[in-house]
Amino acid sequence: MADARQSTAAADMARERLREAMVRLADGDSAALEEIYDATRVKLFGICFRILGDQKEAEDALQDVYINLWQRADRYDPSRASPISWLATFARNRAVDRLRTGKVRGGAVPVEEANPLPDQAPLADSLLVDAENAAQIHTCIATLDENTRSHIRSAFFEGYTYAQLAEAADVPLGTMKSWIRRGLQKLRTCLEASEAS
Amino acid sequence: MSEDKDIKRDDPMIAAEYALGLLEGEELLNARGKVATDADFAWRKEWWDNWFAPLTDEVAGMEPSAELWSRIAAEVNGAEATGSENSGAEVIDLTSRLRRWQWTAGITSAAAAVMLAVMVFAPGSGPLSSPSPTDTPQIAAADPLVAQVPIGDTGLRLDVTYIPESERMLVGAIGLTADGVHDHELWLVPADGSALQSLGVVAPGEVTAMELPADIARNLGSGVNLVLTREPIGGKPEGQDAGPVVAEGAFSQV
Repeated sequence: MADARQSTAAADMARERLREAMVRLADGDSAALEEIYDATRVKLFGICFRILGDQKEAEDALQDVYINLWQRADRYDPSRASPISWLATFARNRAVDRLRTGKVRGGAVPVEEANPLPDQAPLADSLLVDAENAAQIHTCIATLDENTRSHIRSAFFEGYTYAQLAEAADVPLGTMKSWIRRGLQKLRTCLEASEAS
Repeated sequence: MSEDKDIKRDDPMIAAEYALGLLEGEELLNARGKVATDADFAWRKEWWDNWFAPLTDEVAGMEPSAELWSRIAAEVNGAEATGSENSGAEVIDLTSRLRRWQWTAGITSAAAAVMLAVMVFAPGSGPLSSPSPTDTPQIAAADPLVAQVPIGDTGLRLDVTYIPESERMLVGAIGLTADGVHDHELWLVPADGSALQSLGVVAPGEVTAMELPADIARNLGSGVNLVLTREPIGGKPEGQDAGPVVAEGAFSQV
């Protein structure tokens, strides 16, 4: 019990520190960027690499993410999103944009090709994750059939559009749209129910 | 099997499709526009973003190269962060970047001042010190950029307006009508010679507002060219070359 409470407190503190650094950055304190980088680079680089599948492209994307963050830190609204969720979304979107502008061939590497960190590597950012939200989205996604789930995951991680998903699965575009829309509708109902409770 | 009639494609659904990146062509353009103009839609898009974000937790963390931070710091702090022997190149790079950054909304005044100071103090002045942000002139950053793209000899044209503070762009295609066979896609031609960036399919007869992603907004500036290509319905197919250029124009400051 005491351990659990302690680690929750540590996580709260880590999130709060990151939130404060984001606010300071928005106020023009560029020194805050290094703090944000230290706390989040491992997670965000993992995301960029997962999507782009190339070390150099992923590093360029990551550089892009932090430079953009520095330019537009005021876009982050602390009342709307946890800082790590917001940054993860930001990194994911930038990596997908990069994939689509054709700078890389496209398609992410299979997971096993990615080099996970050795155990002793810094994992400070795992403290930043909001465990409750994470559990809820996974619970809701688990209610979808496997087919739909995998297409939604491909959209998220591979940056596939409806048309690309339909082509990859060799089904008509309308079919793919129906599958995914039905899944999204179910997901929304499940997520909204969790918010209401 | 056609699209189900029993699934309501309401705004929250479209916001999810947009958040996941499923949309292309005109639908993508419309969704971007809606984020810029419809607070409820923007709220819902963020709602989805927040829920999807934890999916990234399953991705193994990775350590980027040790020198990546110095690259970022160099870009943020300007030539100061690099050795004096290569600061010349850095300054030229920063100067051209500043020109572009003037048009983007996000530049904070402090950041602008630092960048401008780098530009003003840099040439031939030896090792750079940290200039005080207070003694730098004002940058007129927020004037809108406009471009007119005349369509052949028809007398018709596209009017494109970019408002730096909002990162929003308006594309007016009043007077144009759809031929039912083609769409026209608008492209930004980045000044640095990198790949054309799609601004989406033009909606004939409408004025469309859209929020520009940062990687496009960054490339906007006076003198930057736009081209309009003729494409199949829905815009340039993935993996194929863009269609013929049917019109072009350039941005200038109001």
